[in-house]
Amino acid sequence: MGNTKAILVDIKRCVGCQACEQACQEIHHFPKEHPAHLSDVAFTFVEQKNEKFVRRMCLHCEEPACASACLVGALKKSALGPVTYDNKKCMGCRYCMIACPQGVPKYQWSKLAPYVQKCDMCFARISTGGKPACVEACPVEASVFGTREALLNEAWSRIRNDSGYVPRIYGSEEFGGTSVLYLTDVPFEDLGFVKPAIGNQPLPTLSAAALSESPMVVLVGGSMLSALYWITQRRKLVALAEAEEEKHDSGKGKQ
Amino acid sequence: MSGNVPKLTFWRTVTAIIFVVGIYAAYLRFFRGWQVTTNLTDAQPWGLWVGFGTLCGVGLSAGGFAIAAAVYLLGMERYRPVLKASVLLSFLGYSTVCIGMLYELGLPWRIWHPMVYWNPHSVLFDVSLCVMCYTSVLTLEFSPSLIEKLPFPRLREFYLHWHHRLTIALVMAGTLLSSMHQSYLGALFLIAKGKVYPLWYSPYLTTMFYLSAIPAGIAMLIIALYLCVRSLNAKIEFAILEDFSRVMALLLGVYGVFRALDLVRNGALPYLFVRRAETLYFWAEIILLVVLPLALLSQSKVRNNPQFLYWTCAIVVMGFMANRLNVSITAVDAMTGANYVPKWPEFALTIAVLTAGVCAFRWAIIYLDIVPKRELLPKIKWVTAPAEA
Repeated sequence: MGNTKAILVDIKRCVGCQACEQACQEIHHFPKEHPAHLSDVAFTFVEQKNEKFVRRMCLHCEEPACASACLVGALKKSALGPVTYDNKKCMGCRYCMIACPQGVPKYQWSKLAPYVQKCDMCFARISTGGKPACVEACPVEASVFGTREALLNEAWSRIRNDSGYVPRIYGSEEFGGTSVLYLTDVPFEDLGFVKPAIGNQPLPTLSAAALSESPMVVLVGGSMLSALYWITQRRKLVALAEAEEEKHDSGKGKQ
Repeated sequence: MSGNVPKLTFWRTVTAIIFVVGIYAAYLRFFRGWQVTTNLTDAQPWGLWVGFGTLCGVGLSAGGFAIAAAVYLLGMERYRPVLKASVLLSFLGYSTVCIGMLYELGLPWRIWHPMVYWNPHSVLFDVSLCVMCYTSVLTLEFSPSLIEKLPFPRLREFYLHWHHRLTIALVMAGTLLSSMHQSYLGALFLIAKGKVYPLWYSPYLTTMFYLSAIPAGIAMLIIALYLCVRSLNAKIEFAILEDFSRVMALLLGVYGVFRALDLVRNGALPYLFVRRAETLYFWAEIILLVVLPLALLSQSKVRNNPQFLYWTCAIVVMGFMANRLNVSITAVDAMTGANYVPKWPEFALTIAVLTAGVCAFRWAIIYLDIVPKRELLPKIKWVTAPAEA
């Protein structure tokens, strides 16, 4: 996992210029003006929260709930790091939207053939050695791009060298780890960061626990049903034989 | 019917209106889009069509596998007279669910994708495979009722001969498939922990869904059988329905106990009396699904009266619907603040597909050999066993 790509967002450095936002809109040919939340035409936006600027985007979980939920495997955690979406497989069930704790996947409700829309960390660019458009646009290096391991080291060294930082990297372990990491100088709780429902465990473990029982159900259930059927048949046969015998006996009695 | 044009009765008019409005709603869905047709949003991507059409549709069709298992695997031959009717009811129930998928999915022409693109880690994948297989099983289980009406004796006998030999395998497969996907429908919401209001989130959602689906399926079956006798000239011993009601009461009791223990275990007790709309929805569900039916069924006056029993079952079905809608809509809305209220075309399409199911059921009961028929003596509808039997 050390070589997967990641983005480090440093909230302390962010000046709220929204260059990342504009770069993202441009590269996807999305409208320049858009409401200030994630949508099917906005994969990142800068939210002002408690006098801080927090860049929201897909966290690209290490074990993404959306990919685990997707029944046709259209959403996938790529070896490179980003969680990607294959619109040729998607059938529009929207279970990913239920599963994602951040509400990241968005739907093209206005289209007749709607697809799910989400950030793919500019997969095409980074797989040829480039940077995500949003990172490239950042003038103050509030967003940096690199391998997850290198960025974690970088983040820890920033925390060590500046006591102003909260000594915690959001995404280092949350949801089982994410490929977008956050640093801040005010508590994460005050910035609207989602508190993971099961701490640092990946959410897919919840459904895996239920699904792991299915081979057992089939085996045990199947043999129990077969046994029941055998007993039922056996009782029928015995009842039939007894009835025959009785008939035979009563026949004898008459003679 | 005298062979002329059917008379314009009240219910025929209502049915016609439902279909016309339904077809218009379908036009809106496919040619004008989601925003004209639904109030679904990114915060509430699953609305009435999933919560009612799929979750309730599958759950209320659980009667078929329960009765088939009782007759074939447990040897309860006394239920055989209603076996075909219960298979028919489930078959039509699953058919409405499958038709519902055609407007519920964003890209319905890809409905076959789960057969080719597999993700075994997905609960929904398991559900969709189980539902596909079980719908096929139900089609096979139901098929003799149609085949035996074919005018080709050789084909008929060949089919029925082989069908007879395969029945047990079908029933066993059906029981396993049903048990799995009925509970997995609950497991769908496990991964969304944190987005489901605590009154409804539980690691045992699987068990809860399974335990509630069977009594609700039986309630639905009693309703259908009652209507067959009341309006379609069927001859069904009331003792069978009374038996069913006893099993249903027992299962509802078991469900009630498990649900209560589960709420304690999940630490949801503090939420029971919070001043929130969700609390109201929760209690409405519990009262309709557990408390009221059990109170009513404890009275022999209710159990022994077809009409009272019918209405009691209607309450169970309403309670069941409340539960599924609460899990899928109320509980999610509470956490995401979606504030979802379905738009009228969502209702119109759902009702139209259900009505088509009811019409198909009625047609099958009248024209196929599904249930024994009465001689036309409209005065005595219920065959009751002698008191001392």
